[in-house]
Formats: sequence, C-alpha cells, structure tokens
Amino acid sequence: MSRTRLRAFVPIIAIVVGTMALAACDSGDDDGGDDGGDGLTVGVSWNNYNEERWAKSDEPAIKAALTAAGVEYISADAGSSAEQQLADIENLIAQGADALIILAQDGTAVLPGVQSALEQGIPVIAYDRLIEDPGAFYLTFDNVEVGRMQAREVFKLVPEGNYVFIKGNAADANADFLRGGQQEILQEAIDSGAIINVGESYTDNWDPAVAQTNMEQFLTANNNEVDAVVASNDGMAGGVVAALEAQGLAGVVVVSGQDGDQAALNRVALGTQAVSVWKDARDLGKAAGEIAVALAGGTELGSVTGAIVFVTPGGNSMSSILLPPIPITQDNLNLVVDAQVLTTEELCQGVTAGSVAACG
Amino acid sequence: MTDASQDGTPLVELRDVRVSFGGVHAVDGVTIDLYPGEVVALVGGNGAGKTTLVRTLSGAHPADSGEILIEGKPADIRTPRDAKDLGVETIYQTLALAENIDAPSNMFLGRELTTRWRTLDDSAMESEARTIMGRLNPRFQNFKIAVASLSGGQRQSVAIAKAVYFNARILIMDEPVAALGPAETAQVNELVLQLKAEGIGIFLISHDIHDVFDLADRISVMLHGRLVGTVNKDDVTMDEVLAMIIMGKLPTEVTDVELEELHG
Amino acid sequence: MGDTTLKQDPAPGGGAFSLADTIRAVEVDLRILGMLVALAVIWLGFHIASGGLFLTPRNLWNLSVQTSTVGVMATGMVLVIVSRNIDLSVGSMLAFIGVATAVLQKNILSDIIGFDHPAIWIIAVGFALIMGAILGGFQGWVVSYIGVPSFIVTLGGLLVWRGASWQVASGQTVAPLDGIFRLLGGGSRGSIGATLSWIVGIVACVGIILLLVNKRRQRHQYGFPVRPLWAEIGLGVIACSAVLGAVAIASSYAPLDRALGISNPVLILIGVTVIMTFIATRTRFGRSVYAIGGNPEAAELAGINTRRTILLVFALMGVLVAVGAVIQTARLNAATSALGTALELSVIAAAVIGGTSLAGGVGSIPGAVLGALVLQSLISGMVLIGADAPVQRLVVGVVLVFAAAIDVFYRKRTERLVAT
Repeated sequence: MSRTRLRAFVPIIAIVVGTMALAACDSGDDDGGDDGGDGLTVGVSWNNYNEERWAKSDEPAIKAALTAAGVEYISADAGSSAEQQLADIENLIAQGADALIILAQDGTAVLPGVQSALEQGIPVIAYDRLIEDPGAFYLTFDNVEVGRMQAREVFKLVPEGNYVFIKGNAADANADFLRGGQQEILQEAIDSGAIINVGESYTDNWDPAVAQTNMEQFLTANNNEVDAVVASNDGMAGGVVAALEAQGLAGVVVVSGQDGDQAALNRVALGTQAVSVWKDARDLGKAAGEIAVALAGGTELGSVTGAIVFVTPGGNSMSSILLPPIPITQDNLNLVVDAQVLTTEELCQGVTAGSVAACG
Repeated sequence: MTDASQDGTPLVELRDVRVSFGGVHAVDGVTIDLYPGEVVALVGGNGAGKTTLVRTLSGAHPADSGEILIEGKPADIRTPRDAKDLGVETIYQTLALAENIDAPSNMFLGRELTTRWRTLDDSAMESEARTIMGRLNPRFQNFKIAVASLSGGQRQSVAIAKAVYFNARILIMDEPVAALGPAETAQVNELVLQLKAEGIGIFLISHDIHDVFDLADRISVMLHGRLVGTVNKDDVTMDEVLAMIIMGKLPTEVTDVELEELHG
Repeated sequence: MGDTTLKQDPAPGGGAFSLADTIRAVEVDLRILGMLVALAVIWLGFHIASGGLFLTPRNLWNLSVQTSTVGVMATGMVLVIVSRNIDLSVGSMLAFIGVATAVLQKNILSDIIGFDHPAIWIIAVGFALIMGAILGGFQGWVVSYIGVPSFIVTLGGLLVWRGASWQVASGQTVAPLDGIFRLLGGGSRGSIGATLSWIVGIVACVGIILLLVNKRRQRHQYGFPVRPLWAEIGLGVIACSAVLGAVAIASSYAPLDRALGISNPVLILIGVTVIMTFIATRTRFGRSVYAIGGNPEAAELAGINTRRTILLVFALMGVLVAVGAVIQTARLNAATSALGTALELSVIAAAVIGGTSLAGGVGSIPGAVLGALVLQSLISGMVLIGADAPVQRLVVGVVLVFAAAIDVFYRKRTERLVAT
C-alpha cells in the first residue's frame, strides 16, 4: 500500500480509538454505585427477556422485593444463547453483584458460570429451571404438585372410567415430573381398576397439533369411550379439545392443563376444560428477591426461611423452595381476572350469561 | 476438402477483441474471421484464451472492447440469447446438457414449444427432435430417457442437433470430441463435414492436432491471449503449427532445428 | 453408436410375457408403484396389529386430514430440492404465518368489521398467502441474488421466523379463530358432504379418462408408440376405482350422524397436488426448475433466468407453507408459536421418501404426497397400537434411510430415468 493510502487511515483509526476510549469511560458509570459503599446488589441473568412473562410478571416482582429491602437491581439478557449467559454471569459479577438469580437457558451449559460465581463467594439462585449444583438454591414451582393438582381435579369429576394421558416432550424433565405427580393421585384408583389407562403418549415439542393427532388416534382406538384426558399443559389441552369437538365430545370428556393460558381459561369458563393449573409468576419473583437479599446478606442456604432439601433427578441434594401452584377451575376464575392475566371480556367470550360466577 | 470461398464478406468477424479478468489480459486484441462453409480451427495451449474468445461470440461473456461483425454488420452480443438470435449456436466443452431430462427437452431448453394454452408441447418437441435426429444420426432412438443414460457420442449428437435445429449459421464447437472414442469421433467428424457442406461456418476449438488437420480449412493459433497468426491448413505442416502453438513462431520464422527440437 | 446396450422404447406386444414387460408396457413410474405397494403393506400391517381399527372409514378419514399439512408443503419442497436448494425454515414460517393470521382474525379484523363477519376468513386466507409469498420470496432473493447458500439462509429463517412468531402474540395462544376459517381445517363440519364428494369423484374419474384418451390421441397423431389398449383400459379402471373407492370411504364416515365426505383439507391437498404437478411438468417454469437442478450452467446458457426462477421457487414454497398454516391453525382452532416445530424434517422426509433426490434434478410431486401419506400412516398407526413417541421416531428414521437407500439402488440399476 502506498504512503498516501496509509495516511488516509489515520483519521479513521483515531475515531475508532477515541470511540472505544469514550465507551470504556462510560461503562464505568452506568451500573449504579457498585462502589457506593454499603448497598447490596443482586444480579438477574434472564435467558430470554423477550418472553412476555418475565417482563410482565417476574421482573416487577423481583424488583419490588429488592427495592423494599434497599437492594440494587441489575440484569442481563442472554437472548436464548447458553454461551451468552455465561458471559452475562461474568459481567454481572464484574458489575458487583452480591447474589445472582439465574434463569437458565440450558441447565447443564450454565454450570461453569454457576461454579465460577460460587467460587467467588457469590450465592446463586436457580430460578424456575433446575441447575444441578448442590451449592445453588433451587426456587421453582412444584412441578410434581402441578401434576397432582391436574389429576386431583379430573379425579373429582371422573372417579371411574377410561383415562388418556397426553404428556409433554419426552426429552423434557418436567414432562416426567408432571406425569409422576398425576400418577401418585390416581395410583390407588388404577390399582383397584376403577380407572383404566387407555392411552398415553409423549408429545414432541409439546406441540398442540401433535397432541390433536394423538388424541384423534386414541379416540379411534377406544371407539370414543374415553372419560377423561389428563393433558399436561394448556397448549396440548387445546389440541385435545379440538379433537373432542370433532366427535361432539367437548365438554363431555374432562380435560386438564397448566399455564393459565388465555385460551385455556376461556375454555374453563366455557366448560370444555376442567382445570388449568396456574403458577403466579409474581409469587416466584417476590420469593426470588427475598431469598437473594437473604443470601447476599450472608444467610446460609439451609437457613433460608421455608427451605427444604430437594433431591434432584441427578441425585444432588439442593436447598429449595417449591412454591405451590393454584388450580383454576370454574369456581375460582376471579383469581386470574384479579391478577390481570386476562380481562373479563377475554375470559368470558362465548360464555352463556349467568352460567359462570366470574362472568356475571 | 472444399476450398472455402474467401471472397466477399466473412460470415463472422471478431475485430481487436479484448477481455480482461482482474489485471490479466485473457484476450489481448485478437482479430479472426470465418467464411460460410469453412471450418476455422482455433488452437493454442492451456490459458491461450481460445475459449474466452469464443465466449464473447456466444454471449456467455461479453468482450471488454473490440467489435463483432456478422455478415458485415456490427452485432451487440451480451447474452446467450442475443447470440442465438443472430444464428450463433455453441456446443460447449461441458456440453451444457441437463443430465436429468431427455433429449428433446434439452434441445428445446429455454425455447420450448408450447400449445395454444401455453403449456409445454412435449409431443411436438419429440416429433421435431426425431426429424432432426433422423437427418443427423438415424440410429438414435432414445428420446424419452434422461440424457445421463446416453453415451458420449449420442450426447454430442443431441448437442449438435440442438444447434442445427435452430438454424445456426455459425457454429462454435469447443473440444467436441475430447471425451469420445475413435468410432464416435469419426461420427462427429462426419457430421461436421455435412454441416460445412450446408454452408454453416464453424469455429472449432481443439487441442488435438490430428482432428484439426482432418477438419479445418484454416487454423488460427493463440498464445497468451494474442493471435500468433492464421494459416491455411494446406500450406503448413503439423510441426509448423505446433511451433506456432508452443513457441509462437510463424512458419516463416521458425528454423528446422527448432522444428526438430519439438520432438525431442 | 452403441444404442443396443440401452433399453429401447417399449416394443408393442409379442415375445415372452413377463411381469417386467407388463409393468413396462403400462408405463407407470416404478417408484410410485413401489410406494403404493409399501403403503398397502403398512396399512395391512397396522390393520392386523390394531385389531381391525386401521382400515376403517373413521381412521382413514382422520389419516387423510392429518396428512394434509405436510402433504401440501411437501409439493413445494420437491421443487426446492430439485433446484439444488433446501428450505429448513418451513416449520417456523408456518408458526409465524399461523400466529399472524390468527391475530389478524381475532384482534384486528373483529375490531374493524366485527366478530363473525363472513368476509373475515377470505381476508385472513389472502393475508396468509401474501405473507407466505413475501417471506419465501425474500429468502429466495437472498439465495439467488445475494448468493448465500440456501442452507444458511433458511437456517437463519428457521430461527428468525420462530422468534417472530413469538413476538406477534407475545407468546400467547391465539384462540378461538373465525367460525368459517375453522372449516378449512376439517372437523365435524369442515367437509363437503356425501353428494358433493361423489360429484368430485365422478369429475375426477372423467378427468383421468380424458387425460388418458388425450395422451393416446396425441401419440397417434405423431406416430409415436402407444400403450397397448388393454393397459390403457386397465389403468383407467384402476384409477377410477381408487378414486371412487376413496370417495365411498369418505362418505361412509358419519360421526354425529352426518356423512362427512371429502374433508376440506384433503380437497385443498388434492387441488394443490394437481396444480403443482401441472406446474412442474407442463410449464416452462417447471422445466426450468428441473434443468437448473440438472445442470445450472446449461440452464443459464440456454437463456433461462435462473435467478428469477429460484426466487419464484422459494416464493412458491412460502405460499404453500401459508396454505399449510391455514389448514393447521384452522384444524386446531388456535395458533401458537410452538406449531410446526421440526416440521421441516417431516416435509423433507416426505419428499425424499417420494423419490426426490437431495442431489437435485430429480423429484416427483405425486410421489412426495404419497411419501407424506406413508409417513403419517406410520405415525398415526403407531399411536393406534400404543407405540410411544421415541419408538415412532425410531421407526420413521429407519424408514427414511431405507427409502433413500432404495432410491440409490434404483438409480444405479435402471437406465430409465424419466423426469417426473
């Protein structure tokens, strides 16, 4: 390259270096008083902040709990990337987090980050999703209890008969947690022969369309003689109900679900779904905030109020709190309206006036 | 061997054609011409620029500068379609046949015959193909199988039939027999002579000096993008042509010693 | 010139009468024949294993509806693969288009022109098709005009459209959908009833006979060899019986005491198959696609606008994804961003089982639809006999590799490769 060409690069290089210097100076300021003395800081590593639930329910609850305790809130968004989450964790530590709340993108891939934090004396809360590290605190909704609640509500309405189980994704640990809980409640009736398991299948990717196809096949296999369907989540329950509708059985066959999905709550109001087990994310966020404050203040894992020992599928014993979910049936639909999960109008679309309490 | 008439306007004239890729002059000011009913062989070593030169005529790669005249009139050839509209048909070194479709479909590729509802008229195309092949290669019968299943010689006849059907006046053949055995080569050579007799002008690119001497009337030699010279086949020996190819020396310039060394 | 080593066109009559000669005389694609045989074996197998449940009007009717989404999309995937490309984004695109169309129906249109307006479904379907064309066309543009390999572009699409499907409704399930729109998905009211089905069946039968007659007449006209008359008649009879038999089965299925007849999704599938086969075999565009797949350079030199053709191939794929999205969401009466996850694999598998080569240049659209039917028969049949998801995946995987291996074997053995 000629000299004149090289010279042209100088201003460009100057600008680049200058910008970088400015940026470096700037980043020292915007994390809010990490060197401000006494104030504690809690860092939250989101797996993908874009999912509506976190912004709407979890984050405000965490923030509120932290503010009430006078603790600073910082966060990072991994954009669904496990690698990015590891970088985020290091980042939050560098910004002075005294405790971390981690919503794992991948519970196994995040382990190095967790271990690194623990080594640096920073307590970690595994939020909602399991991270198999005995040094971390596991805070989640009790997924086994979700399964039990689904089964309980269905069993109330159908104490005897033919049952179909529409399970979640085979590769997902939660699918088996749920199924296990369901089985606990129904075991006795199954053993006595009151309940007959006439169909059971995993559903790839929890895909409602797959659930629909599977349900159609189960109905065919049993000549429509199915009395109850224990579906593990609301999306799949939708597929099940669609299959039932095609045979004129919607509202006749009892169906369960979970998530408090708007469409599902509407189905509960309409009577085509018996229960949707709802996890109030605000409770989870609030608990996370409170536990993080306690841990950052030096509380031992086992001494956290309400903590129990939970043995994970991987055989680790973790200090945990498993929050109880709430089964939403036609009787307590007002709870979800009050919590602003959906409006009364959305809940009651198509509902005959006067047939459901919450719809007036 | 007909003595091609060289009075009157040439069928094709390429004047001072230049083509560069990056900083490399692939074709550096070459002028050649072609008369009706004659075969001009274009020879030279690898990288001499022969293929690049004819691609300017066939529309595959327009020249950077220079002129192309067809029957004395300037021609602007930028795409293969332009070339075909002017009656220039090319049989490419790689044959440019789609292996997965049959012979009639290949013949009419891009120029398919359609019914009045604008759908493909496969029967008409097959019929036309049979007519043409009847003339060129009467033993060819495999009109409904994919070209991939045909032998090299058969594929050549398909490629030639394609050119001939569309009333080519100027045919460019790039290494037509390179991949063929002796019997098939003889067959193709027969075809070429037949086309010559019909008044079609042919540019023939070949690296095989024997094929060149069998078919060509004149020979144009290129070296490193430049034209070494154009000679009448009858006036030179194979060695003299080789000297032009390898050393770039005209028959008038080369010594006997050097000619000997070619075989050394 | 050595013609004698290759197979000739069928010689009319005479000589030793073998099964091979018969099949050759009838001039039906051996692969399609093979798949029909495989299908029959699978159906019979499941019928026995399920204690007589598989070959019932109910199950077959359900099966046909369950096949439609993948079947429709597989027809487009054939052309994509034939042109030496691949589209990994179809599942995610289905979710994106599905959710967007659902949001349009439920939230936007019902506010503007009122819930239950009779025109909602038309606008929704139109919107979906246009969206599909744009998304697909965009991917096609990046592939052909920017030059990024389709594997990468559509892999990006797989991620982007999935994320977008989440964004459109903030991850919520959008339900219920418009009443008329739902009928496009089948169900107890989404079919054309017995009478119309018979009319469709008869029209199809007449159509097939006309096609056979016309082709024969054309061949006579040019003096080409024709099928022996017994073969023509036999083919016509078999085809017509199959069509009318299918209609009879569909019409005898009457849950809730109403004879359903051909379901809307299946009608759409049939229509799409006919149109796509026509495009592939009878239009210059279709010929160009195959030529590009066989030798892109030759196509270019023949004056074909290869870039525009590839763009159109992807745009067409997008439109078919939209049709699939309409069927899928209408059937489910809901749209969620979880729909269509990993569906691209089923679509590609259907095309490959149906004889499309991943090397490009070779592929059959009716074959792909049959491939989709084979796939769905396996999956639905397995659920019927109580085999769970992991077993299903195993079986489908084995069948896929087996089908591809047969493809390779067939290709090596025979000389008779006919384009579509």
